[in-house]
Amino acid sequence: MVRCHIDRLVSVLAFRCLPGCHKVNIYLPIAEMSVNVFVLFGMGAGVGFLSGMFGVGGGFLMTPLLIFYNIPPAVAVATEANQIVASSFSGAIAHFRRATVDIKLGMMLLTGGIAGSALGVAIFSSLRKAGQLDLIISILYVVFLGTIGSLMLIESLNAIRRNRGKEETVTEVPTQQSWIANLPFKMRFHRSQLYLSVIPVLVLGMLVGVLASIMGVGGGFIMVPAMIYLLRVPTNVVIGTSLFQIMFVTMFTTIAQSATNQTVDIVLALILMIGGVIGAQFGAQAGQKLRGEQLRALLGLIVLAVCVRLGWDLVTVPSELFSLGAGGGH
Amino acid sequence: MRKLALFVGLISWVFAAQAMAANVETPKTDVQIGLSSETVEIASNFDGTDIVVFGSIENGEPELLAANRYDIVVVLFGPKEEIVVRRKERKLGVWVNGESLRFGDVPSSYSVATTRPLDEITDAEDARILQIGLKNINVLPELDQNSKIDIAVFRKSLARLKVSKDLFLERIGGVEFLSPTLFKAKLAVPANVPIGKHTAHAFLFRDGKFVNAQFAEMRVQKIGFEQFTYDLAHQNGLLYGIIAVLIAIATGWLASVVFGKD
Repeated sequence: MVRCHIDRLVSVLAFRCLPGCHKVNIYLPIAEMSVNVFVLFGMGAGVGFLSGMFGVGGGFLMTPLLIFYNIPPAVAVATEANQIVASSFSGAIAHFRRATVDIKLGMMLLTGGIAGSALGVAIFSSLRKAGQLDLIISILYVVFLGTIGSLMLIESLNAIRRNRGKEETVTEVPTQQSWIANLPFKMRFHRSQLYLSVIPVLVLGMLVGVLASIMGVGGGFIMVPAMIYLLRVPTNVVIGTSLFQIMFVTMFTTIAQSATNQTVDIVLALILMIGGVIGAQFGAQAGQKLRGEQLRALLGLIVLAVCVRLGWDLVTVPSELFSLGAGGGH
Repeated sequence: MRKLALFVGLISWVFAAQAMAANVETPKTDVQIGLSSETVEIASNFDGTDIVVFGSIENGEPELLAANRYDIVVVLFGPKEEIVVRRKERKLGVWVNGESLRFGDVPSSYSVATTRPLDEITDAEDARILQIGLKNINVLPELDQNSKIDIAVFRKSLARLKVSKDLFLERIGGVEFLSPTLFKAKLAVPANVPIGKHTAHAFLFRDGKFVNAQFAEMRVQKIGFEQFTYDLAHQNGLLYGIIAVLIAIATGWLASVVFGKD
């Protein structure tokens, strides 16, 4: 229903702007459905704009949007991992040139990430067979988006209030958590000037890997704060190192999902990638004109809005109680 | 053009058949059909199409033909599939998939066109045996002995969901007589039509009694890029995944070349 309305709206708009191109439907070979190219391109560009503006990956917004647009959640999640490869690749190149990547730390995070991704793909398959995949994807999104959105909003509102009083505030870097400092298997990470147990690094990487394959997100929204506050990685290498890990984990996830579940739609991914990289450029320019706290407050609101929409669908009586699933395999 | 040629061909063939029939003793009344195309090809711009089934009643009794007492039902069956119907139930305030029922041998798509409302054409028993009409599609649940599932509700939901996806379709009056013996039926092929072998069945009725049936096959297939992509994804997922990653890398690299400032 929603899809029909969006399609009609976009068709009308496109007809006004580009006569003759008002009905540009394209058939997605894996999702096996016909969709409007303008809608998908617009979604890619819109989320790309936000991700450029806020400096976030955007997977956590793109996947719910695709689901709202009736793309099967299994296809949405796996295809989004593929799109993130493209967006993180260009980011990672830039960080490599500036040498703001801790490769050793990145490799350790990646080791955990690949294990997590493999585990996630296996969980994904079994949930799909049990008919509970869509539910779990929705619940995970509600939990993560709700938490992240609230934290972001509270933090940015506090910052705005503080700035009204004082001009400059120094954010204090928290001391390393003592339980992390006491863990065994320590390793030296020269680039980050850290002497750190590999256990929290592997666990963090693994968690992000699981999320990549079940939720179709890069996981930067968890990894970046965890690296700063838990591992105390210097902020100048945090983004580059997390992009390094995200890029390889989403590559692995794309291949593993393709081989196991056949749910990566190349055509869908390509439309989203192109929309995404273009949107991100304009978003980055727009972001420079806005203040950091206001940006974060705005992003927090967007994240919460998506969370509420997904949560609402979980708790209200569905208009259709029944659903069909492929019965292949026992 | 192809439809026209087929149509002309059919007419001349019908006349020939009738001329021949004059020599044979008490020929059996029969129905013959042909499809406007034997393959439906899915390319990137595919957004559904129509299939026209042309047919003729052969050796019909002239007085019955003149009085329009023959009826035609045309059904297009999609390839069989196994399907699970799930019902949501509330658990801890959240709607989750609960009871489920698996059906084997479900036609993945089903499109029926008739000359008149079904109950005027034939009785319920024949309609059920011939699987004519949405409520008569023969789907068998795979059930445990001790299950207390309400099969009828699940069966009805299966049909309702298929209808809502445009996969099950009923067109009363969708069969049109062009002459007393010639008819055509237009059947919709939706954008999400399942690929594989589809079968068109034409059923001939006389005064509410089933007389004869004929069938013709049609293939729905992806072509070109769509076929290549689909086949690769399902036959060699690993290679497909690697290609997907390479495309993403190329796009990301291109973006950093085009837009890259640093």
